[in-house]
Amino acid sequence: MTLFDLAKKNMRGNFTNYIVYFVSLVFSMVIYYTFVSLQYSEQIQQNILLSETMNFMFMASSFILILFVAIFILYSNSFFTKQRKKEVGLYSMLGLRKKTIGRMLFYENLIMGFIALIVGIIFGALLSQLFSLILIKLMGATADIDFGISLEAVTQTILVFMVIILFTSIQGYRLIYRFKLIELFHAEKKGEQVPKVSVVSAVLGLALLAVSYWLILRPFPEELTNEYIQLNYGLAIVILIIGTQLFFRSATVYLLKLLQRNKKRYYRGTHLIELSQLMFRISGNARTFTLIAILSAVTISFFGATYGGYYGNESRAKEDSVFSYSHLSRGQAFDSQVESIIKNDKEHPIKAQLDLPVVEADGELSFPLDYLIEPTKIISQSTFNQVSEALDREEHVTLMAHQAAVIKPRATEWTEETFKGQDVSLKTPQGNHHLEILNMVEGSVLPFHYPDFFVIVNDQVFSELAQTIQPLVYKVYEVEDEKTTEATSKMLDKLVGGDFQTSPSFYLEYKEGKEGNALNLFILGFLGLVFLAATGSMIYFKQLTEAHEDKPNYEILGKIGVGKTDIRKSIRKQTLFIFGLPLLVGIVHGSVILHFISRLMSNLIGANMFIPMLTAMSAFVVIYFGYYLLTVTTYNNIVNK
Amino acid sequence: MKTIVEAKRVKKIYGGKGNVFTALDEIDLTVREGEFVGIMGPSGAGKSTLLNVLATIDEPTSGEIVIDGTSILTMNEEQLSAFRRDKLGFIFQDYNLLNTLTVKENILLPLALAKMDVNELEQRVNEVADKFGIQSILDKYPYQISGGQKQRTAASRAIVSKPSLILGDEPTGALDSKSATDLLESLKSLSEHDHATILMVTHDAFAASYCQRILFIKDGKLFTELVKGNLSRKEFFHKVLDVLAALGGGASDVI
Repeated sequence: MTLFDLAKKNMRGNFTNYIVYFVSLVFSMVIYYTFVSLQYSEQIQQNILLSETMNFMFMASSFILILFVAIFILYSNSFFTKQRKKEVGLYSMLGLRKKTIGRMLFYENLIMGFIALIVGIIFGALLSQLFSLILIKLMGATADIDFGISLEAVTQTILVFMVIILFTSIQGYRLIYRFKLIELFHAEKKGEQVPKVSVVSAVLGLALLAVSYWLILRPFPEELTNEYIQLNYGLAIVILIIGTQLFFRSATVYLLKLLQRNKKRYYRGTHLIELSQLMFRISGNARTFTLIAILSAVTISFFGATYGGYYGNESRAKEDSVFSYSHLSRGQAFDSQVESIIKNDKEHPIKAQLDLPVVEADGELSFPLDYLIEPTKIISQSTFNQVSEALDREEHVTLMAHQAAVIKPRATEWTEETFKGQDVSLKTPQGNHHLEILNMVEGSVLPFHYPDFFVIVNDQVFSELAQTIQPLVYKVYEVEDEKTTEATSKMLDKLVGGDFQTSPSFYLEYKEGKEGNALNLFILGFLGLVFLAATGSMIYFKQLTEAHEDKPNYEILGKIGVGKTDIRKSIRKQTLFIFGLPLLVGIVHGSVILHFISRLMSNLIGANMFIPMLTAMSAFVVIYFGYYLLTVTTYNNIVNK
Repeated sequence: MKTIVEAKRVKKIYGGKGNVFTALDEIDLTVREGEFVGIMGPSGAGKSTLLNVLATIDEPTSGEIVIDGTSILTMNEEQLSAFRRDKLGFIFQDYNLLNTLTVKENILLPLALAKMDVNELEQRVNEVADKFGIQSILDKYPYQISGGQKQRTAASRAIVSKPSLILGDEPTGALDSKSATDLLESLKSLSEHDHATILMVTHDAFAASYCQRILFIKDGKLFTELVKGNLSRKEFFHKVLDVLAALGGGASDVI
C-alpha cells in the first residue's frame, strides 16, 4: 500500500470527522468565488471604473474577504488537526516514520483541498447565478448582468485557495515535528491558555480604534484623489482590525474574569458552566469576535449604502420634480387638455391642484454669489405657503413689504448665513425694488430648471411686480400613489415636452434614477449578501464544531442532574454572548463606516442618509438574530437530544 | 433503618424482533439506609444495566423502582433531572469530570445547580476535599491531575450534595491499588460514619470485599448474595473469590 493510498483510505474511513472541515472549506470558496465573479463581470467592471466609491468598496471588500477566508480556513484547520492529534500520535507509536506521517497529512490536506475547490467553484457558479436573478428582480433593473462562468474568476479563486491549501498542507506536514508525542495524545483535553489581562494591550487596542475612527471620520481633503482614498482608508481598515483584535482579547478576558469573581453569582445555577466554557476557548473566541465584528460592520455598511441609494433616489426625484405633474400654462385649450388627461386617470386621483404665477426679473445681490441669478424667479408668499400645504411641508413664510426670502437652490450647499441680512434688488422697467433678505428656506416649488434661484416676496409686492412684468403661470398637480403613474406620465411628457430640464412628472424622474442607480445598488446589495453569508457561516460553523466537541460535557451534565431545559437555557446564554458582544462592536464600527459612506454618497445623490442607514442596521440585526436562533437550535440538537 | 432502594421484577430487554437480548430478567433488589452494597458478576451479566436503570439514565422494560420513597418510573424528564441532582450521586469509571472546570468547581457543581448559599457551599466543598485529601489540587484542572486524584474528585462531587444514594460504576477500575484502597476506605467510612447508602458495581473482588453485602448477577438474574456480617475483610474476600469461581468468569480478573 502506498502512502497515497493510506491518505485516501484515511479520508474515506473518517469522512464524518472530515465533513465539517470540508464544508467550511467549500463554504469559504463559494463565498469567495461569488465575490470574484461579481468583480469580473464586464458590466460591473465598467461601472466600477466610473465611480470612486465603488472602487473603494471593492478594494476594501476583497481585502476583508481574503482575510476572512484565510482566517476561517486556518481556524477550521486548527480545530480539525486538534481532533486528529491522537490519531497522528498513534501512527507514530506504531512505528511510522515522522517523514512518512508528515507526507501523509500533507497529501490528505491537498486532496481534500482540491476536491473542495472543485465543489466550491461549481456551487459558487450556481449560487452567483441565483443571486443575480434575485437581485435583478428586486432592483427592477433593466441592467442585464451576465454571470457566466468567467475564466478569470475561476483562475483567481484557484490561485488564492492554492496558496491557502498549500499553507495548511505544510502545517499538516509539520504537525508531527511541532509536537512531542505526549502532547499529541493529550491534545483534545487541554483548555486554551487564558491570556493575561494586560492594561497595555487594552489601552493600545482602544487607542488604535480611536486612530482608525479618526482616519475614517476626518473631513475630506480639497480634492478626493484615488491615492488618498486608498492610503487613508486602507490604513484605517488595517488599524481597525488590529485594534478590534486587541480590544477583544483584553475585553473578553476582563469581562469573564469579572463575572467569575462574583462567587455568589458564579456559584449559582448554570453560570459556572457557561462562563467556564467561554473561558475555555478564550483566544479562539477573541479571534472569532474580531472577525465577526468586522464582517458585521462591513455588511451593515453595504446594506446601508444599498438602501440609502434606493431611498435616496425617491427623495432626490421628489426634490427634483416636486409635484406629480407640472407644466407651463399655454392657454385655455392646452391647459384643459392636460387637466382632462390627469383627471381621466382614475387610479391616481388628484390630491392638490395649483396655479403658480412666477415673475422673472433680473436680480442683483448685495454680495457676490457664485450662482447665476439672471433671471431671478419671483413668487409670492401665499404661493409658497400653498405649495407647502399641498405637499405636507413644514416651511411657511410671513414677510413684510420690505422683506424677501430665498429658496435654497438645489444642488448647492448654502446655508442661512449666506443670505441673512443681505439685500436683493429686483429690476423692473418701472424701477428697482430693494428688499432685505429675511432668511433662506428649503423646499423648491417647481421642477429643476437652471438657474434655480427663487425669491419669495410679500403678496403686495408681488402684485406690483406682476403689473409691470407679465407672470408665467405654472400648473401643478399632486396625485395619489405617484410612483405608479407610468401611462399618464408618458402621455404628458409628449405633450408638455421641455418646460423644465428635468422631466415634467415625478414618475419619469423616479424611474430614470432607479434605472441609473440599479447597477450600483445591485453591486452593493450583492456585496452585502456575500458578507452576510460570510458572517453567518463563520459563527454557525464555529458553534457547530464546538457543539460536537462539547457533546460529552453535556452528557456528563445530564447525568449529574441538569435538566434539558436548563441546558437549553445555558446554550442560549452562551450563544448570546458569542453573538452579542461582536454585534455591539460591529454596530459601532458600522456606524462610523456608514457615516463615511453617507458623506461620500450624499456628494453623489444629495440625500439625507440617516433613516436608510438606521433601517439597514435594523435589517441586519433582524437577520443576525435569525442566525442566532438557528445556531441555538442546531447546537441544542447536537448536545441535548 | 429505612429502605432507600426498592426494586421489584425489573426487566430490561434490548433489541427488537428476532434479536432479543434480556439484560435484566426480573431482578428484585432492596437496599437500606447506610448500607454499602456491591454488585458483581461476569462481563455481560447486566451489572451496568442494573446500575443505569437505578440511576434513571436508562429505563427498564418493566418492573418497579422506588428510591427514597419515590417511584422513578412515573417521573418526566425534568423531574428525573431534579431527582438525579438532589437524590443521587455518581462515581463513574471514567470519572466524567468537566475539563472546563477546576477541581473545586467540578465538586461544587451539584451545589451550584441546587442554588445553595455560597458560604455553605464553600464550607461543604472544604469538608469533602478534606475527607478525600484533595485540598492541594482544588485549583487545578482535571487534565493536570492523576487518575487517582480525578477519581477522588469525582467521588467528592458525588457525595457533596449528601445524596440519598451513591452509585459507583467500577469506580476503582482505572486506579492503581493504592488509589483504589484510598477510595474504598473513604467510601467505607462514608457508609459507616455518615450513614451514606452506596451501591457499587465492580468486577474486582478486592474492591467488593469492602462492601457489607454483595449481590451476584449472572445472565440478568440474581445468582446469589453474600453478607459480610462479622467476617474480617480478608475472609470475606476469599468467600467472594469462591463465589466468583462458581459463577465462572470474573475470577480471572483477580490474581
